[in-house]
Order: sequence, then C-alpha cells, then structure tokens
Amino acid sequence: MQAIVVENLTKRFPPAYSGWRTFLQIVAPASLRALAGVSLQADADEVVAVVGANGAGKSTLLRILATLLMPTAGRALVAGFDAERQSAQVRRRIGYHSGADFGFYGRLTGRENLEFFALMSGLRFQEARDRIGELTEHLGLGPALDRQTRGLSSGTINRLGLARALIHRPTVLLLDEPTRSLDPLAAAEFRSLLKDIVHRHGTTVVFASHILSEVEELAGRVALIDNGSLIAYDKPGGLLAAAKATSLQGAVETLLLRASASGRTA
Amino acid sequence: MNHLSTRRAGILRQMAACFWRDLLVARAYRSQFLFSVVNTLFGAASLYFLSQFVQSDKLARALPAGTTYLGFALIGIAVFDYMGAAINAFDSSLGEARLNRTLEALLVTEASLPVILLGSAIYPFVFTSVRTAVYLAWGVLLFHLQLGSANWPGAILILSFSILAFIGLGILSTSYQMLFKRGNPAKWIFLGLSGLLGGMMYPVRVLPPLLQDLARVIPLTYSLEGMRAALLDGASLARLGPQVAALAIFAAVLLPVSFAVFAWALRRTKVTGTLTHF
Repeated sequence: MQAIVVENLTKRFPPAYSGWRTFLQIVAPASLRALAGVSLQADADEVVAVVGANGAGKSTLLRILATLLMPTAGRALVAGFDAERQSAQVRRRIGYHSGADFGFYGRLTGRENLEFFALMSGLRFQEARDRIGELTEHLGLGPALDRQTRGLSSGTINRLGLARALIHRPTVLLLDEPTRSLDPLAAAEFRSLLKDIVHRHGTTVVFASHILSEVEELAGRVALIDNGSLIAYDKPGGLLAAAKATSLQGAVETLLLRASASGRTA
Repeated sequence: MNHLSTRRAGILRQMAACFWRDLLVARAYRSQFLFSVVNTLFGAASLYFLSQFVQSDKLARALPAGTTYLGFALIGIAVFDYMGAAINAFDSSLGEARLNRTLEALLVTEASLPVILLGSAIYPFVFTSVRTAVYLAWGVLLFHLQLGSANWPGAILILSFSILAFIGLGILSTSYQMLFKRGNPAKWIFLGLSGLLGGMMYPVRVLPPLLQDLARVIPLTYSLEGMRAALLDGASLARLGPQVAALAIFAAVLLPVSFAVFAWALRRTKVTGTLTHF
C-alpha cells in the first residue's frame, strides 16, 4: 500500500487582515494560492524530500498531511486515511516535527515532556516509559532528559522533537526543515539518525529542506515545488537526467528556470 | 463495545495527563499557590469586616432567611470564582499553548482539541475547589460562619450542574478567542453581566424589575440561589429542585450549542490557517 497519496491538492488562504477587518477573516474568500493541483505518491519505507524556495508551499503540503490545515480542493491520503475527513486515524499514524527549537513546556524536564506527549499519543504510562528508554539510547539524549527543557541547546531540543515525533511508532514521519536550527555536526548526526530509523523500522519519511546535500543523502525521490505547483517528482538521478545536470543543485536550478520560462508557475 | 471502552480509557488517560502536566508546571510556581491561599484569608477577613459595617434591618430583609451577609458574600465570591475558572480555563489553555508553541505538537497527537481543552480545565477547577474550601474554612474558623446545617450533597449537585453550564459559556468564549485572537468580549460580557445580575454580592431582589427579569436568564443566579440555600439554610434536595432543573436546562442547551460552535470555529481556523497564530 502507498503510504502517501496526494491527488490534485490545492490550498488557498484568505488574506491576513488586521484591525477591525480581522472580523472579516472568517468569511473572506480564499484568494492567496499556496498549492495548486499537487499530485504525488510515496511508498511505504520511502524517503521523499520536498524542495523549493521560501513560500513555495512545502510547509503547507506537510501541514495538510499532518491534519493541521484543510485543503481547498483535492485530497491527501496518509496510510490509507483521508487527512481531512479521517484526521483522528491519520494522527495516530503520523509523527510530525516542525524542526523548530521550541514547542516544549520549559518548566518540565525532557522526560516529563516526552511522557506527557506519549500519553497524549495514546500510549499507556508503562509503554511510554519503556519507549522513552529506547529512544533515549537511540537518539543519545542521555542526561539532557532530566533537565528542564528551557535550559537545553537547540540541537538537544531538536532531538527531543524527533523523539516526540517517534514516540508512538508512527508509520509516516513528516519533518519540516528538521535541521534548520542545527550546526553542521549536529545536522550530520541527525541525518544519520534518520537513516537508521528508516532502515530499522521501515518508516515513510516526507521532509522539507533547503539543503540539497541533505536531500541527496537521504531522499529516494524529490518533489520540486515552485509557487505552489509541483514541477518535478523523481529520483535524484531522474532529476539530473531531466535537467542534463551533474549536481542536484544544478538540476534544481535548471528545472526551476525551465518551469518559470514555460510559465507553469506564473 | 470493547473498542468504545478502550477509547474512553484513552481519553481519560489523556485528560489525566493534562492534569498531571499542569500540576508539574504549578510545582515550579509553589509560591504563587501559597500566596493565592493566603490571599483567601485577606478576602474572607475583608468580607467579615464589611459584613460588620453593612448590618442593617433593610439588609436583613433583603437577604434570604437565616443568612448573614458574611455567608452570603463568601458563597457569592466562591461560586463566581468557579464561573471565572470555567470561562478562563479554556481560552487560557489555548492561549498558553499558542504562546509556548506547544499547540501544534498537541494537535498532531491522537488527542482531539476538545479533549486537550477539557483536560487543561481540570487543574483550574481543582485549584478553585481548594481555594473555595480554604475560603469557607477561614469563614468557619475565624469569622463565625455557620455551616453546621449545610446540605453538602445538595451543594455538590448544584455545583456539578453549575460547572457544566459554566463550561458551555467557557467553550463559547474560547470559540471566539480561537477565531479572532484578540480581546475577548464574550468573556467579559459573560463575567460582567453575571457579576452584575447574578447576585454575587447583593440579592437579585434589590435590582430594578427589568434587571431582575434579565437575571433569570443567566445560570449564575440559580447557582447562587441553590448554593446559598444548600449551605446556609440546609435546604433539602426537593427544595433545591427548581435550581437544579434550571441549571440542568442551561447545561443541556449550552453544552451542545457550544461544542457545535467550537467545532465550526476549529474547522474554520484550519481553513484559514490561523489555528496556531496568536
């Protein structure tokens, strides 16, 4: 079964109002295009990278898959469930990590935070404790786990975020720029962890990234998005061939220029 | 059936987790808890001295039979405290989750947003109950408040239905907050009107006739009547019947309406993409 099926997915947002016009926000027509008819699939245990400039629609796609946003048209299936209509079933099967170095209760320790999110993710208390033990070892959280999260470094918070996303053994992992707040060494460690997780558990991973070396290292397929449209979806080798390029960087630039010239993303 | 009970157990576990989280966070602010309890002594003492000052025949005639102003006002403040907890708990919880940016992480867990919000309301209610108990204890121990004939089961029944009705108002207020993210007039209208009309510090019968009529359409009026009758007058369950029935009707109307409005507001914010904004 395909882990992710996205069909003709379109998302438009209403304009952001301020002042008294905020009250019009709830009835304002959705006129700002974020995604325009995106279709793609991902197999079980596949790693898919979503690549594109800032504002291209990468996070919107991930947030629809994570049930945080509703599509304007089209549909997204995660592990066979519709992200809009069967959001509870989808949430049980996904882990989502925004890559940010916040999002924890600062006055609680890492362990207390993970225990809380584990229970909220449907684990029983003993299961939660056992799972935290496994992840601590696997993610190298060690002594950081028993310190208040407000005092932890960005890298540790990021690993804690990954542990939170993995705590209930999701079949699909959605990561939004997971290494954006990490130094090069921590980012390399993070990538190595991710590869290990996919290798060990057969988890499907969809991650957004600007770092093409990271994409080359991790992704089985690359979805290239520009201005809300999917302009290429292929293996890295396929993109190189299509663009007649020798590096992924060159391929991405060529394909974006080509799409822009043909007016597909205008 | 088995699936249903497993699901219920899961929801209870999630709500307990929210309570435990809030308790752990409160542990980090022990002095705040202590000061709040000490503050109840100042509140009770102020009411005692006020009751010494305002004693008069006119007041005695206006108060329900067998009631002193101290008991009347202490119960008024305690019940209004519950209403404040119900109205503030949900949007505070939503606001805090937005502010410390845990909302997104919470929303992708198995727990639904109503469970997250209801779970987050448990600690404020428990805290309010502790504060109320301390309030009444100060009244009894230091200021001659008479609760010897109180009908405690009746008071708990009135309080339970009151909390359900107040939760309905709280969820309506949170729906507004979720949609518009700014100064929440729903909250201030509910609290302000109830404070004015519900009879917290003075009996409803001292209000002009039009306001007395308006007082009959807010739940706080029935909560206060019922609680005062149960605690100060030891009213039987039969005597509390009208107040229990009125509060049950408020709860039966407000809860489904508020959940429907909340569901619509939640869906709308997922469409506009503003759910996690603040």
